[in-house]
Amino acid sequence: MRSKLRRLSFHALAGGAAAIFTLPLLWAVVASLRPAGLPPPRTVAWLPDAVALSNYRDIFTLLPMARYLLNSLLVAAVAVPITVVVASWAGFAMALLPSPLRGWLVLLAVGLRLVPLTTLWLPRFLIFAKVGLTDTLWALVAPAWMGTSPFYVLLFYWSFRRLPSEVFDAARLDGAGALATWARVALPLAAPTAAAVSALSFVHYWSDFINPLLYLRSDRTYTLAVGLRALQQLDPTGMPLLLAGAVVMLLPVVALFLSLQRLFWLAEAPARAQGG
Amino acid sequence: MTRTQHHPALRPRRRLVPGISLRHQLALCALLAPYLIGSVVLIILPLLLTAPLALTSYDGLSPPRWVGLGNLRALPGNPLFTTALRNSLLFTALLVPLRVTAALALALLLRRARRGVALYRTAIYVPTIIPGVAYALIWLWVLNPIYGPLNALLAAIGLPAPAWLTDPATALPALVLAGLFQLGESFVVLLAGLDAIPAEYDQAAEIDGAGRWQRLTAITLPLLAPWLLLTTMRELIASAQSNFTPAMLMTGGGPYYATLFLPQLIYEVSFDRLRFGQGAAMTLVGLLGLAATLALLYGLVGGWGYDDEV
Repeated sequence: MRSKLRRLSFHALAGGAAAIFTLPLLWAVVASLRPAGLPPPRTVAWLPDAVALSNYRDIFTLLPMARYLLNSLLVAAVAVPITVVVASWAGFAMALLPSPLRGWLVLLAVGLRLVPLTTLWLPRFLIFAKVGLTDTLWALVAPAWMGTSPFYVLLFYWSFRRLPSEVFDAARLDGAGALATWARVALPLAAPTAAAVSALSFVHYWSDFINPLLYLRSDRTYTLAVGLRALQQLDPTGMPLLLAGAVVMLLPVVALFLSLQRLFWLAEAPARAQGG
Repeated sequence: MTRTQHHPALRPRRRLVPGISLRHQLALCALLAPYLIGSVVLIILPLLLTAPLALTSYDGLSPPRWVGLGNLRALPGNPLFTTALRNSLLFTALLVPLRVTAALALALLLRRARRGVALYRTAIYVPTIIPGVAYALIWLWVLNPIYGPLNALLAAIGLPAPAWLTDPATALPALVLAGLFQLGESFVVLLAGLDAIPAEYDQAAEIDGAGRWQRLTAITLPLLAPWLLLTTMRELIASAQSNFTPAMLMTGGGPYYATLFLPQLIYEVSFDRLRFGQGAAMTLVGLLGLAATLALLYGLVGGWGYDDEV
């Protein structure tokens, strides 16, 4: 009896917390289906009155959404593969390099991760302006050349370190060079990490607001994140349109998260063994 | 920790086959090169550029002019800067303790694997995964005094309905409220920390007759201390910049500068008014302040609690 009561109170508490954390999102999806231009609702709308998918059609005429979507996808399509290659190369090299050097490189990656990004806006902008990257999508892709985040490098490092060193030694004794060992042995064995880094970096580039805001000047190059900013100026009766825009932006990310959940938790698992 | 579980006999092999040669190591360095070069160009070089830039007057067109400490000396007399600094500190002082406490409470609640826990954990992480722009737009609607659901809900249960983002007194707390739910990273790190505590400790204390509260304060929290410190430091760094997107989209820094934070001021000074030297000076002050806070925190509690070399 007592344990039953306890279980019940656990589910009430945890279920309540889960509801609070997901409620704004669910509300938003419901409200995005409400026709625009109506007077304010008098009570909280739990279910849509009339399913108005027209909001989703209308934002594509209100804003050049197709162009924004295409730009966002283009950035992700270029940046994600480069990120996976650069980060896994670095993680692979770190895992195989001899001891004192390896330790220094791990320390460097952890240190680089601590740098607040706000600090980098201004000097990075000046560097990009100097080499003519501003107002091109290349400015957004640039971080991929350092593996996007030192955290991704560390994720690969941890997953390669967990492989028995025999595997690499055998490949080397077979005469395989470093690149061949990475391509034929290491990367296939670290496929879950590669998938996790792909998903995480996709979310990173898809969501990135600050970099496009800093480097892009023309509507032609805007990605979804900066393009949708214009919706903020809608008057309150247009809020269903604003929410439709938000849902278009978050849908791929939430869908990816829910379908690859195991990978997301897995990506945090090495942090478990290493103290974050 | 887990990777030292390879069979002991395998370990010496790494040394038995000596790092073949310089050639192999050079090849490894070549694989490391893109990441290292990228990090130097995109992180280290910009970081080093900030300080000299702060000592110049530069508009991006004419060459930078040396002004020494002029930019920095002008900051205390700049009302926008002092307002932004005060708001940023208030935002951090409210958000970080709330987020760490809430993440800790949720991690303690959802630490054990049992039916439904995976679903609950996922739900807690959802707000963190949502893109910042979409998240800000949703909260712009949630907090709308007339059209938003929050005030409708508050009115339904008979509570006063504030004007949220349009009232200087509630705008900053409203942004803190919206930010509170994005605590997924801390939640996951603390879950991992709790996972690393051997269950035997708790069981032994229970057999000895320790109550739930006693076990929490005498065993779990001290063992979790390094993780809590790590979480707090990460949250401090994050809170220094996490208000940029919501403030830009939800309030624009207003009303009456009530939500003007340092990142937005730096953005406006540098990129709207093209005063790069001033922007760099503000960036530098923010960076040094953050570093000092982290050092102070580390000095105060770094030695506290049990350290398992996590």
